[in-house]
Formats: sequence, structure tokens, C-alpha cells
Amino acid sequence: MNGAVPTTIIVAGLALAGYALLMTALNRRMNVPLLAAVGVLEILLLVQVGIIVAKLADGQRPASLPTLIGYLIATPLVPVAAAFWGLMERSRWGPAVIAVAGLVAAVLMVRLHQIWPVIHV
Amino acid sequence: MSEPTAPPEPAASRPDSTRTGPGRLLVAVYGLFALSASARAGVQIATKFGHAPVAYLLSAFAGAVYILATVTLSVGSPTARRIAVLSCSVELAGVLAVGTWSLADPAMFPDATVWSSYGSGYGFVPLVLPVFGLLWLSRWSRRARTRRTSVTSAEDKGEAAGRDVAHGEGGAPGQSATDVVADGRT
Repeated sequence: MNGAVPTTIIVAGLALAGYALLMTALNRRMNVPLLAAVGVLEILLLVQVGIIVAKLADGQRPASLPTLIGYLIATPLVPVAAAFWGLMERSRWGPAVIAVAGLVAAVLMVRLHQIWPVIHV
Repeated sequence: MSEPTAPPEPAASRPDSTRTGPGRLLVAVYGLFALSASARAGVQIATKFGHAPVAYLLSAFAGAVYILATVTLSVGSPTARRIAVLSCSVELAGVLAVGTWSLADPAMFPDATVWSSYGSGYGFVPLVLPVFGLLWLSRWSRRARTRRTSVTSAEDKGEAAGRDVAHGEGGAPGQSATDVVADGRT
């Protein structure tokens, strides 16, 4: 149970990045399936934030609490910001923005593990 | 700055600003680095400044440069483009200088900055980003030059008078059509 969500997020983030990059390569614009995939990533990230908040409520503390709180705030904003910014673009570069968000979500999970090893990947 | 763009955001439909087309991706990555570098520096300076003051101050400086580049690239007026060229250049010089410095004198950097070892901790994106930024901006100044020579003098005067008002709107229609085609291919 412990590492399932972060691992899923890494796989989902990389898969989303791959799909979005393919769309960029094929000269596709933003579409509904891509937005739905971003929505799935957002839900997974919110679940992960919930798990971490539960750990904090449990009394557990990481080495640097301010850093962790920063990550908790920034992480769920990544897909939202990328979706807005990507939707403003009416060319292949909209999906490219989504690809960045997917990669960042995967990297953030690895970083979370580094700043608080309790979070298994 | 971008507010005077009165009609339904022409910037959204064709690449007539540095924030559209490939610039959309560039601004996204710059925004990401602006946020991560400055947030990281903020936490480090607030909680453990004495541990590695040089590294933390350099991180804060890098964060400021990224913020400036993000804002100027997304505004995209001629003045903003000039500032963007400057900040991308400072960024490239910074990543090369700090990268070399961190390898030559590791004792100075007990904790890493964004630019340590040429940005290896961030997948060397900090090294590549200013290069792409400068390439994108140079393509833009070329485009502005060709437009200036192709428009009539009356239009030219109009653009000079209201340079902050959504440039590109009054641009020659043929020019923007070729831009779209060019962007579809590259």
C-alpha cells in the first residue's frame, strides 16, 4: 500500500509525457482525452498529498518541514497550471506543456522520497 | 501589459508573441524554474543561511533571473524582448560561471545551487534553457525585422506609435500565414 500511489504517479506521469510528446510530434492540438489524462494525474497527486498530510497528522515529521509543505502546495498546482497554459495554446505546443507537467510529476515523487524517505516510491 | 490586446486574444490563434508556439513551452519551463529556484532559495535562506551562504545567495539570484525571463517572455513587447535577451544571457553566463566555480572550489558549495555542476541536479535543463531562449528570441527579432521591411511606411508609423498595443495585430497577413506554416513544420 505504501509505495503504490507514488509508483502509479511516476508511471502515469511518464505515460502522459510520452502521449503528449507524441501529439506534439504528430502536430495535434490539445483535446479532451489529453485533458482527461491530466485530470487523472491531478487526482492521483491529490491522493498522494492526502497520504502525506495523514502522516503529518499522525505526528511524523520530515527533516525539513518547510520544504515538504512547499512541495505539498506546489505539487497539485502543476497539472492545473499546465492545463490552463496548454489550453491557451492552439498549436502542437499545448500538448508539449502537458508533457512537461507529466515529467515534473514523476520527478516530484522522487524528490518527495529524497526529502522524506518515509514516502516510498 | 498584455491587457491592451482588445479583441479575443489574437495571441492564442497564431504565433505572434514570444509566449505562443514554442514560446508556450519555453515560458512553462521558465515558470517552473522560477518557482522551484526561488522557493528553494527562500526556504534555505530562511532556515539555514549560515550553512552555505554563497550557494543560497546564488540560488536566490538564479531564481530572480528566471522570474525576469518568465515575465518578459510572456509579455513579449519589444522592450520585454530586449530584457529577456539580457536575462537569458545573464543566465547562460551564470550557469557556466557557477558550474565551473562549483567544480573548481567545492568547499564554497557545501549545498548545491540550481547552477552547480552546470545544473546536473536538474538534468542539465538550466544549461540548455538559456540557449533555447536566446534562439527563440533571435528568431523573433529576425521576424520583426522582415515585417518592418515588408509593411508600408504608414503601418510602420502606426506600430512605432503604439508599440505596446498588441504588436502583430497590424502585421502583414501574409507574414502570419507563413508563420503558421513554418510552425507546423518545425
